[in-house]
Amino acid sequence: VIPPATILGIGAVTPIGRDLNEISRKLGTDPGPPPGILRVSDDLLIEPRIARSMRRADRFIKMAAIAALDAWTPAEMSCAGVAKEQIGLIVTSGLGPHCRGFKFLDGILDSGDSDALPTDFSHSVHGAAASYIAGQLDLRGPSLTATDFEIGFEQAVLLSQCWLHQGTCQRVLVGAVEELGDTMIQMASQIPEANNLSAGEGTVFLMLGNAEVPGLATIDAAAAHENTDLIAIDEPTIVPEKNSPNRPAARHTVTFSPYFGHSASSSAFQLLGILLSLAAGRPLGKPMGSSMEPTTPAVVDNAMTFRTSCGRTATLRITTR
Amino acid sequence: MPRTSVCITGIGAVSGAGADVAATLDTFASGNRNPSNSLPFESTIACPTFQVDAHLPDLPPRYNNCRSLRLTMQAVREALGDAGIGGFDSVTRVGICIGTTVASQLNNIPFYSAYRRDPNRPLDAVIDYLHANLARAVGDLLHTAGPRMTIVNACSSGTDAIGVASSWIDSGLCDVAIAGGGDELSRVAIAGFWSLGVMSSQPCAPFDRDRSGLNLGEGAGIVVLESAAHAERRGKSPRFEIAGFGAACDAHHLTAPHPEGRGLDAAIHIALSQADIAPKQIAFINAHGTATTDNDRAEGKVIARIFGSDVPFLSTKGFTGHTLGAAGGIEAVFTILGLREGWLPASPGFVNQADDVPIAPTRARTKIRGEYAMSTSLAFGGNNSVVLIRRIA
Repeated sequence: VIPPATILGIGAVTPIGRDLNEISRKLGTDPGPPPGILRVSDDLLIEPRIARSMRRADRFIKMAAIAALDAWTPAEMSCAGVAKEQIGLIVTSGLGPHCRGFKFLDGILDSGDSDALPTDFSHSVHGAAASYIAGQLDLRGPSLTATDFEIGFEQAVLLSQCWLHQGTCQRVLVGAVEELGDTMIQMASQIPEANNLSAGEGTVFLMLGNAEVPGLATIDAAAAHENTDLIAIDEPTIVPEKNSPNRPAARHTVTFSPYFGHSASSSAFQLLGILLSLAAGRPLGKPMGSSMEPTTPAVVDNAMTFRTSCGRTATLRITTR
Repeated sequence: MPRTSVCITGIGAVSGAGADVAATLDTFASGNRNPSNSLPFESTIACPTFQVDAHLPDLPPRYNNCRSLRLTMQAVREALGDAGIGGFDSVTRVGICIGTTVASQLNNIPFYSAYRRDPNRPLDAVIDYLHANLARAVGDLLHTAGPRMTIVNACSSGTDAIGVASSWIDSGLCDVAIAGGGDELSRVAIAGFWSLGVMSSQPCAPFDRDRSGLNLGEGAGIVVLESAAHAERRGKSPRFEIAGFGAACDAHHLTAPHPEGRGLDAAIHIALSQADIAPKQIAFINAHGTATTDNDRAEGKVIARIFGSDVPFLSTKGFTGHTLGAAGGIEAVFTILGLREGWLPASPGFVNQADDVPIAPTRARTKIRGEYAMSTSLAFGGNNSVVLIRRIA
């Protein structure tokens, strides 16, 4: 049994903002009709504290680095006395920095194999964002980047719990990042199953400590599928699920996808909505299924995300302290 | 918390050094290496590469177009056979953790070139790419239930994958794990490393005075890990175990290692501490040794600083080229082979002591003695990972 981890800080760069209070306020309003594509405003990617180190960085890296900084800042005090080698970093993404990757391919096709730009190559590898974050925050523990099209964020949180439990790290900065590029949007528009979805981009980072550290809430990617106050799901999935397990029962079922869009890292954004709901003390987001009635004021102190995609199911259980 | 014993019960490898473990050992014994001067795709860059010349497994449609996956499955099948595992029942929790670089990106130049001319063309290459997440695909092909993670930590991915899988077993998340890395030769990677100015036009010479850069290669290396309890339940007596794993980030530069090897130094000490052994107990080191100026200088300094000048070490990239995300998996297998066979080949390509590297790798076939050996990996992003392996019997 792996103990849950404690959330010490949250950072997010989303299509509806970066400031958590502003995001929370918007999640309490009707999202309106599906907008098609949900992108992060470039205005959110201006951060004077890291502007100099971000000169060569692209949107993928900037989104991740800013959210990581925002998750780190409130937790910095709790990291005093923790060795830099004891702070781990895990970044997960489905498509990774594919926009920079296509730019490098453009360089090969337009300029020739031997004359493509080295900065485009070095920034097109999945680990580029983690490298910027580690350098910016001087994180010297294990640094890992993983890729998954379905449940990467849950797997990253699970590994964070392992590292904290085993003493590999005392803190882990874990996040998911997805970027929407014009080429991939164009490609997705030709896939019938993806046409009904609002694609989204952005990033969510959490600063985690072990279970004994006081914090905002606990998170557990290894929890059993038990009933809960609030459940957030990402529907519809790209591929309709035929044999996915039944969802646990919940007093309130919501989705945050109309606000953040769908992506390989959707779970991270569902989690963000859950955390802001717990902070607000009531369910935010768009009600779903049997809880379509307007949400009545309700004390919500435990919640979970439920993600099922391509035959794989994963959950993140959140409990307030 | 006390560590669970993580046993190694099977190994498999395919690379330019051989289509399987037995062929690889033959190559090591002969000392011959086989770089190719022709590429399997169109490119204006001329450079030696190390290619796999073997029939790879035929996989179901959608999977079969990914050479990295086919290379990986070749090594997976060999490793499972070595472990005596014919398949998995539904109650065995099997983790899959695979490192890669090429398979994680839609770097299909023929497709992309055609797509730029005609955006309405069929998207089969994209669909294939979405099926080629290595850990997910291997798990699907083997019908396993358990955690899966595809590590994309550049050149340390394979080593990191073994570390993550060990962590899963140690935490009780799975009973068995299939871990390592797989990567195919790629025109994009060749153009990328060429653009960085770190590729050699000659067969590579790790740690040598006249080293002039790396050669790229392809392959896969896989280990089957098991909890000691699971291995015992099925009557398997493991001969090796993961004695330690360490990972640390330089937090220094996107592509260059820290000049003093700060992160590598930390990773090695973490692994030694986890194994609760002293540096002098290390029988040999399978070094990352890319043959680039910066890597070999930083790595050589760290090895000399921690282990002194007498520790036997080598870089097997002279036999395989740099296989990127597969390298850590392949070299973990080679490290096990060194412990098993009791000898190391001469470090291929090395002739002259370098002025900027304080130590020299093996110059001839070298007998080794001892229980412990180490494999190191350094990567883009400043990642450093070390796996420490112990021979049990």
